[in-house]
Amino acid sequence: MPEPKAPQHTGELGQRYTELLHRAVFAKNPLVSEAALAEAADLGRTLIARAVPLEEVGELHHEALIQLAHDHPDLPLSQVAGQITAPLMEAYMAYSLAFREQLERRAEAIVNARLEQSRRLEAIGTLAAGIAHDFNNILGAILGFSELLGDELPADSAGRHHLAYIQQASFRARDLIARMLTFARAMADTPSAVELVSLTEETFKLLRVSLPATIQLAFAPPNRDAWVLAEPSQLQQIVMNLCINAADAIGDQPGSIQVAIQPIATAAGAMIRLRVEDDGEGMNDETLERVFDPFFTTKAPGKGSGLGLSVVHGLVTKLQGTIEVESTLGSGTRFLIDLPRLSHPDTTAPPTATGEAP
Amino acid sequence: MTKILIVDDDDLFRTMLVEMVRREGYEVSAVSNGKEALEHIEHDRPQLIITDILMPEMDGIELIMEQNRRGNTIPVIAISGGRRAISLEFNLESAELMGVRATLPKPFTREQLRSAITEALQ
Repeated sequence: MPEPKAPQHTGELGQRYTELLHRAVFAKNPLVSEAALAEAADLGRTLIARAVPLEEVGELHHEALIQLAHDHPDLPLSQVAGQITAPLMEAYMAYSLAFREQLERRAEAIVNARLEQSRRLEAIGTLAAGIAHDFNNILGAILGFSELLGDELPADSAGRHHLAYIQQASFRARDLIARMLTFARAMADTPSAVELVSLTEETFKLLRVSLPATIQLAFAPPNRDAWVLAEPSQLQQIVMNLCINAADAIGDQPGSIQVAIQPIATAAGAMIRLRVEDDGEGMNDETLERVFDPFFTTKAPGKGSGLGLSVVHGLVTKLQGTIEVESTLGSGTRFLIDLPRLSHPDTTAPPTATGEAP
Repeated sequence: MTKILIVDDDDLFRTMLVEMVRREGYEVSAVSNGKEALEHIEHDRPQLIITDILMPEMDGIELIMEQNRRGNTIPVIAISGGRRAISLEFNLESAELMGVRATLPKPFTREQLRSAITEALQ
């Protein structure tokens, strides 16, 4: 839309651009030529700022060159190229940069909006679960005491009928709570763009209080740029379970769990790799082979249920990732998890965010 | 008489459950968290434990884990008002996976409780 302070539309700007190129080529003074090229580049930036697509700006430049060649058929093309190509290449790069910055700012705004939303949904889910828990306890007492009261009342008495109504009402309340929880869960379970580094840092806060103090948790967070499409709780479970499993392998001795996150390129495309490594007891080949079996555990009674890893395997598969494990008896175990990387969270994530930035 | 230990931090619910189980003809003791339950089990071994999952001090899952660690094989019925939401809280599913005999979501009826106890004691 034309703004009052900048009345020229793209066509007029295109005309001006052609003039500038013309001046750049034919100016006797190299300073004049340089100034003309600089103005041409500024013009390009103006167009980008007006949200004119980059291809259209490129087309404009192209047309200007054609016009130049048409007006001066005898113009030596090599001379023209030498005079304007290099500076204009720079200008073109400046346009691209401006364009890319604009895109990045836009993507960032969308991601932030989505993060904010998933935090809100998580809060709703937690709140709903807390209310449901307390409510079910209260209903349990109401229902139970009403059944007990029934023992003291003669069969077929009015009192027994009234009790039956109390029970009926309690069940109705129970179903209502179940529905509320299902709703909250469905909202919170919507996969969204999740940044794995931040999420891992959050999860470590939980882990630090639950793991023995003799176990060192090492994580050097890289740039917060590890985006994947998932439910935050799924990723949290993966990180939690792997670390708890590592802690179990370390046991009561002092030991350390090293966690790393990095983007990698594989045959399957760009992935985010999560590495969890411990210096615990390690596993023999027989154990290693069955490590993801749901009911397989090496537990000396009580030493973890062994369920964690099958859960991790299930979640990783669900997220279309892969999981690998390497272990050496006596020196430790390493888990490698690759999850598909989201390079443009705004286009790959489902359209749940409302913040479509301008 | 068969001894049953009830572990629940909700006073009102626990009072109800103690009375309900007693009327089924069992000898009932009650405590309000996992830690107290372990102390109780040390000196008075029950034949069945009915435990809540989410409790302060020591929750039901930790209680079951500790029982396993000590090699105790007292059957357990897990009860809970909580349902999986989005947090990492333990729930009845976790208890089931840990090998409890039965699980009962709160609120439950006397009939459901009766059959869970019978099943667990078999």
